Amino acid sequence: MIGRTWRAVTSWFTNMWTDIKASTDASILGVARFLGLLYGPIDRSLRIDQALQKALRYRLPPHVGWRHAFGGITYLLFMILVVTGVLLALFYRPSVQEAYPSIQHIVSDVSFGWLIRDLHVWSANLIVLAVLAHMGRVYFAAAYKPPRETNWLVGLLLLFIVLAFGATGYLLPWDQWAYWTVSEVLDVMSSTVLLGGVITEAIMGDAIVSGATLSRFFALHVIVLPWIALVLLVYHFTLVRRRGVAPPTDVREDRDSWRASAQWKLEDFPQGIPFFPNHLLRSFVVVVLVLAVAISLAALFPRPVGDAANPYLVPGELVSTWVPVDVSLALIRFLGPWGLTGFTLLGFSLVLVPLFDRRPERRLRHRPLAAALGLIFFIGFGVAWLTGRQIRSVSPSSRPAAESVRGASEIPEAGLPLRDLGPTPPRPAPGEEDSDPAGREP
Amino acid sequence: MRNTMRLALTAGILGWLLPAPAWSADQQGGLSMAADTTYGCLICHAEKRRAFTLGIHSEHGIRCHDCHGGDPTSYERDQAHRGRYIGTPGKLATIELCSSCHADADMMRQYGIPAGQLAEFRTSRHGELLLERRDLNAPTCTDCHDAHTILPPEDGRSNVYPTNIPGTCARCHEDAQLMQQYGIPTDQFAEYRNSAHGIAVFERSNFAAPTCMGCHGSHAALPPGVNEVVNVCDHCHLLIGRAFLQGPHNEPSRDGELAGCLGCHSNHGTERVPPDGIASVCVNCHEPSSRAGLLGVDLQESVVEAAADLVSAEQAIATLTVGGKQVSDERFRYQTAVTEYRQMALALHSLDVDLLDELARSVRSNTELVRTTAEVRAERRWEHKLLLVPVWFLAISAIVFAWFKFRDLAGRDRTS
Repeated sequence: MIGRTWRAVTSWFTNMWTDIKASTDASILGVARFLGLLYGPIDRSLRIDQALQKALRYRLPPHVGWRHAFGGITYLLFMILVVTGVLLALFYRPSVQEAYPSIQHIVSDVSFGWLIRDLHVWSANLIVLAVLAHMGRVYFAAAYKPPRETNWLVGLLLLFIVLAFGATGYLLPWDQWAYWTVSEVLDVMSSTVLLGGVITEAIMGDAIVSGATLSRFFALHVIVLPWIALVLLVYHFTLVRRRGVAPPTDVREDRDSWRASAQWKLEDFPQGIPFFPNHLLRSFVVVVLVLAVAISLAALFPRPVGDAANPYLVPGELVSTWVPVDVSLALIRFLGPWGLTGFTLLGFSLVLVPLFDRRPERRLRHRPLAAALGLIFFIGFGVAWLTGRQIRSVSPSSRPAAESVRGASEIPEAGLPLRDLGPTPPRPAPGEEDSDPAGREP
Repeated sequence: MRNTMRLALTAGILGWLLPAPAWSADQQGGLSMAADTTYGCLICHAEKRRAFTLGIHSEHGIRCHDCHGGDPTSYERDQAHRGRYIGTPGKLATIELCSSCHADADMMRQYGIPAGQLAEFRTSRHGELLLERRDLNAPTCTDCHDAHTILPPEDGRSNVYPTNIPGTCARCHEDAQLMQQYGIPTDQFAEYRNSAHGIAVFERSNFAAPTCMGCHGSHAALPPGVNEVVNVCDHCHLLIGRAFLQGPHNEPSRDGELAGCLGCHSNHGTERVPPDGIASVCVNCHEPSSRAGLLGVDLQESVVEAAADLVSAEQAIATLTVGGKQVSDERFRYQTAVTEYRQMALALHSLDVDLLDELARSVRSNTELVRTTAEVRAERRWEHKLLLVPVWFLAISAIVFAWFKFRDLAGRDRTS
């Protein structure tokens, strides 16, 4: 009975799958032509049909597997952030008076506003982890070596852009945690040699984090950074397409042939994995999983809304809602500010790796220094992140913003110091003041 | 010729500039004592100059000889101490000296200072001891206001600045040996410091709260009588005082059988009676099993429940805030409930049980609405999680389809 039912179900699914296969074999372009979208000269001059056919015949190197999915996941999360960000921008108002109420409106009143916002927040967290996983895969596979060193640097720039996206977006909820965390970060930045002074003032736009800062952060978050990210992404993908995926570490790459052709050809991997349907199917699974995980995190762990930002009231604790803040919390708590600085410098040193490590050798055991550096950074990041998740919050060190206005420390305190209520001073003995009847001692 | 003109111009500028400070000082009543090096008293009494110039009298051009007499133009001691010279005035002479100006209403009007201090002092316990009994233990003007550095009460350095007054009084009133002579305890300052009033003054700088002189008066300092206590507290606690006057405790208080407000709240160590301490205060005078004792238990229950309602409403608002809900309506209801809770204090003092019950019901009603909003919100938040059912159903279905397709592709590869 069970076996018969199982066979019936299997048969039903198999038939359905056959139908789906049959439908996917039909050309999408046929539908487009039917609708008149590829009419006449457009169809002939653009040669869309040929391009699509070429893409479908495209084959990836045989060693490309699931571990190569992190780059795609990062791009998917970026697209989720773009879509949810556009939806949020329909309701968000970047002003001191309206930012916080508009967040409340999004979360409370807008249909599925809570989902859009929390999906945005969680995607901003997941994208950092995905970028680092992608970087880790590239680093340990020595894919940063020539001829792909430019793409490594572009990738690092994209990491910086992702962090800049998160940092500028962190202020936008305009609640106490956002306000005071950004105040702390800018406070630290202003005291550093390179970023301090002019740059911090330009970012902040005021002596304290204020409406000017909010406007700047919003403009950077939704106008400046997306364009930079788009340009860098296109460049990143173009370089991937031209340089190809790095071969396995135990295969020596013929650099001369790369330099000669500088182009990955279709016939390079006749036995490779077909882009369609194999690779696209794998991507489909990854997309579905990532979307399901992101929606689950958004529904189960919504980002709490703190009290509205108040420059005159330092909150008791700052709750972290972003992965890099978690990492910073752990580093500062256990290693102090120098720990955070050292770790940041270690991260920056990854920029220099392809400049020094140019040997063709790509096996990890023959690159002990690079392996050690990578292990310290990537495992250190993971450990710091998990520890920071446990800490969750930290007491702010800032003074109320109104006091931190430049020059305020030079202004004497209002009023005069109150008397110390310590021990009562001794009372003069009765008649002591009358002890000089001759009036000699005034 | 040119040199002559230059000289004339320079002399003109200097002539215009140099007299300026003298003219300015003259407009203010002559050189200040701090700047006048020709003032004779300072030759011997230089150490008094700094103390005096910090005070308000120096600002108004009063100098040593205005109080002490003598001739400040003489640089010889004997000549300087001649004439109306009085040296250091004694306690009684000090009162006479100060009141020669401060009891003069015409003179004090320009400074906006009342001229009744001497009259008030005569009515005080301090005045009685000093002026009538010639008891030199009693304070005179300079004991509280200092002899030379006399500052206005609003100056933070003054002995009579609100936060300094308790310390000033305590200089004598903490002296056990001295107070023993008058049978006065010496723990007032210690009690006050930890009282509701002391905490308000010292820790919150709330100068609306009374210091010693708020209840006892300043120049007319006197402990209020038992039947006067309610009226003293009534100065600030107006509504509570009115409520008390309408209640059953007013009559025994007026007759001196009950110490008014102090009966429940103590005097220098003024305490708020906590909600769960109401019944225990009642049984200080009433039998626990008596009607009044049982009423105390009922009152306590009402107040404790209302306090708990407020706490739960506050937590509900915090939860709603974290959840991103706009809570202006809920805050308004909470504030209304807080106002009603405070009004319960009036009902407690008048022992109006009906009013107390009505207010307790109103607190319950307002806080219940806040809690209900939070519960509905929490329920909706839980419903959000139900979205995961279709999401994961679709995700798992898609992955199953993909797995079948992978298997199919693998089979095709093997065949090819």
